Amino acid sequence: MSATALSALQRWGFAIVPAVGLVELVAHVAQTRPAANEGDWAAARAWVAASAKPEDLVAFAPKWIDPVGRMRFGDDIANIEREARPDETRFPRAIEVGIRGAHLAAFDGWRKSDTQRFGGVTVTTWENPSPAHVLSDLVSMIEPRHAHVFRGDAECPWSHTRPESGGLGYGPAVPADRFACPGGGFAGMSVVADLDYVPHRCIYAPPAGGPLRIRFEGVRFGHELHGHHAIYVEAERNRTGAPVTLSFASGGTSIGSIVHRDGDGWKPFELDTSQLDGQTGELTVEVSSPSSDRRQYCFEADTR
Amino acid sequence: MKLPAALRLPSRVGWRDHVIGALLALVYVAWLIPGARVLGFPRDEGIYFRAGADYFRWWHSLLERGREALQQGAIDGAFNINHEHPPLMKTLFGASEWLLHEKWRVFADASTAFRLPGMMSAGLAIWVTYLFGARAWSRRAGLVAALLFALMPRVFFHAHLACFDVPITAMWILCVYVHWRAQEKRTWGWAVAVGVAYGLCLATKHNAWVLPFVLVPHALFVDRHGIWRALRVGRVSIPASIVTMATVGPAVLYALWPWIWNDTMGRLQFWADFMTHHDYYNIEFLGKNYFGPPSPKSYLPVMVLATVPTITILLFLAGAIDRIGVGVRRLRAWAMTLAHRDPRDTPPRDPLETDLLLALSFCGCVSVFFLSKTPIFGGTKHWMPAYPVLALFAGRGFDLVTAAMHRALPALDDTKRRLAETALVACVTVAPLAVTAHSHPFGLSAYVPLVGGTAGGADMGLNRQFWGFTTQTAAAEYLNSKAPRGANVFVNDTTWDAWARMQEEGRVRGDLRVVGAPAEAMLSLVQHELHMNEVDYDIWIADGSDAPVYVVTHDDVPIVSIYGRR
Repeated sequence: MSATALSALQRWGFAIVPAVGLVELVAHVAQTRPAANEGDWAAARAWVAASAKPEDLVAFAPKWIDPVGRMRFGDDIANIEREARPDETRFPRAIEVGIRGAHLAAFDGWRKSDTQRFGGVTVTTWENPSPAHVLSDLVSMIEPRHAHVFRGDAECPWSHTRPESGGLGYGPAVPADRFACPGGGFAGMSVVADLDYVPHRCIYAPPAGGPLRIRFEGVRFGHELHGHHAIYVEAERNRTGAPVTLSFASGGTSIGSIVHRDGDGWKPFELDTSQLDGQTGELTVEVSSPSSDRRQYCFEADTR
Repeated sequence: MKLPAALRLPSRVGWRDHVIGALLALVYVAWLIPGARVLGFPRDEGIYFRAGADYFRWWHSLLERGREALQQGAIDGAFNINHEHPPLMKTLFGASEWLLHEKWRVFADASTAFRLPGMMSAGLAIWVTYLFGARAWSRRAGLVAALLFALMPRVFFHAHLACFDVPITAMWILCVYVHWRAQEKRTWGWAVAVGVAYGLCLATKHNAWVLPFVLVPHALFVDRHGIWRALRVGRVSIPASIVTMATVGPAVLYALWPWIWNDTMGRLQFWADFMTHHDYYNIEFLGKNYFGPPSPKSYLPVMVLATVPTITILLFLAGAIDRIGVGVRRLRAWAMTLAHRDPRDTPPRDPLETDLLLALSFCGCVSVFFLSKTPIFGGTKHWMPAYPVLALFAGRGFDLVTAAMHRALPALDDTKRRLAETALVACVTVAPLAVTAHSHPFGLSAYVPLVGGTAGGADMGLNRQFWGFTTQTAAAEYLNSKAPRGANVFVNDTTWDAWARMQEEGRVRGDLRVVGAPAEAMLSLVQHELHMNEVDYDIWIADGSDAPVYVVTHDDVPIVSIYGRR
């Protein structure tokens, strides 16, 4: 640096301080302007409603805008199946609705096929390079046409009653439609908050008072059984609970077992079903644990 | 242009500076009062309202019934509620409510009367910060320090509340200031004042336990020569302010806290145990939910950078580096003297060791948050007593910048110099003013422009709120106008106490009824915090829909979602 420049810097260096003050003010003004207005959201919704197929994922970016996205798009588009997805592998396309230039890392590696701008809302369509073809989704089958639930030898009848929920610490809501076992225990579709507080639609099946068996009928088998399981965050985060074992069998033959231990979070699993590939039949799932204390267990699985 | 003689300030700091400090305090309190009406009631505040009313009622009964009120049953009956925190502020909350709401009807809202002592304590902190800066460095430094302290969004938020965080900030800086003055005045009057100030500090919040680690080493260092001289003739000399802190301080605490009049040691032990084994609550930091030790060591620095205006931090760094430089030069000169060499560069000696005192005070407030066992659930409020000192160093930094400006612009006449100084003050305060004013009533959701504002904080995964106070905004924006008549409402993190008071004061429609679970509710609220997500998902199942009917936002960021049963 020349002597003249150094001298000028020494003389005028103080100006950095008022400059920072003014830059902070300008940044504040810029940051506090709304990114999108109601009209932008409505236009984006109309486009997505016309473009999204039932098998497409619709997701909002950044993640924290999700409640606003759900409110603006409604539960016909931003439904629980999409919002509380097990992962992104089953979706052939994702329609990402973003503000403030945000993008979800889940679509890194997907091919961008379209971008639409509606004022402050950007709608980007992503193509999944290798989508999984789901044959049967067990979570969608947990109803009397496709499933029977047993605790011990006793069958748990399907019932429709009030849902049960509470405040913080209650655990996943107990759904209104569920298989309710005599003397306690149930199985039904709910949404679990995993160890990272991410929602996942799953079969809520706490192993209360003994193993719980769910027999699914009419399951179309592929080459693998793909799934995840978790225990409600507050019940597993202290890592003091008993493990929960999930076992799969078909026609009396074991397909495999997976153990969930506290701290595993939303744990993925894959079991080989190539011997059953192409068949349609019965699949029995057993949930068991040496203890039923706060085993607020939930799993999801599909065949592919 | 010359100021009229009456407005000109003598070089010596004196009563006129108290007037300036008081005016700053008054303006701040006047700014806070109307903001109280739009700010809902956090969980703890509801308890303090009740405790305040009970405590004050007991003091009232002491005057009316005398000995009867002194029975243990009467004392415990009044003071058992929230006995894990000392009583001073709660008693003042209760007194304020009784006088300014019940008796004189100055405030229509009981809550505003309850909150006034907290607001006044913010004013006190500003007043003392101004005086401290004015005496330590310059009036300009004091003024800028006071303004920058007042214009911290988190300080502004907490200053509205009937809680203890801003009061302990005020008591802490008051105690440090009185101690500093006592070192100069060297009279028993000032020494007793230190004891009284420390007692008030103890009676405000347990942060006071740390103060001896600030004041005792400082007093010993200031008096080191006298102590050494006394030791050499076989005497022990203890600075008077230490003696009064150890005697008058606890006496003041004892006098103000009837709950410890019985079973004193046992109850003090309970207090200590409660605070040293405090529960951990959930809090989000950088996208992760913390609910127990170890606490992240980066929490304090990141949260300070994300919540204190950047210009304030920059000035703080300028001032702190300057004072550290002076300290290093003193140390070097001292070392050279020990080595019998000529210390050519000896900074002027400060007999009050102001830099040391401020450094100890700052470190005393923040150091505990680098321990892995210290809970972090309070966000920034638990180290707020460090902020007046942070602002004082910022004031010193401003002095340096002003001096540099004068050197750069030597040809300015007096009028232009004053204008330039005023412009400089405006440049460093306008952004903090804008950020602070904009943050209300979402002070816990707001982050500074350095991290992208409120949206930037959400991007970083920083906590968005706690205590469920934003339900009032949900009521103002949706429930009061849209909820069906007599609707059951699940209010999640808001206490039923807080809800009842909001209804009593007409902030929430009186016909709405609180229920304990989303499954029982027609309308369900979720105040967005990471660990509250589970409640969101429960509502999806209970309602059969994941689409809220309304979302309260601040700068696009969801604060409260409202779901309606379809």
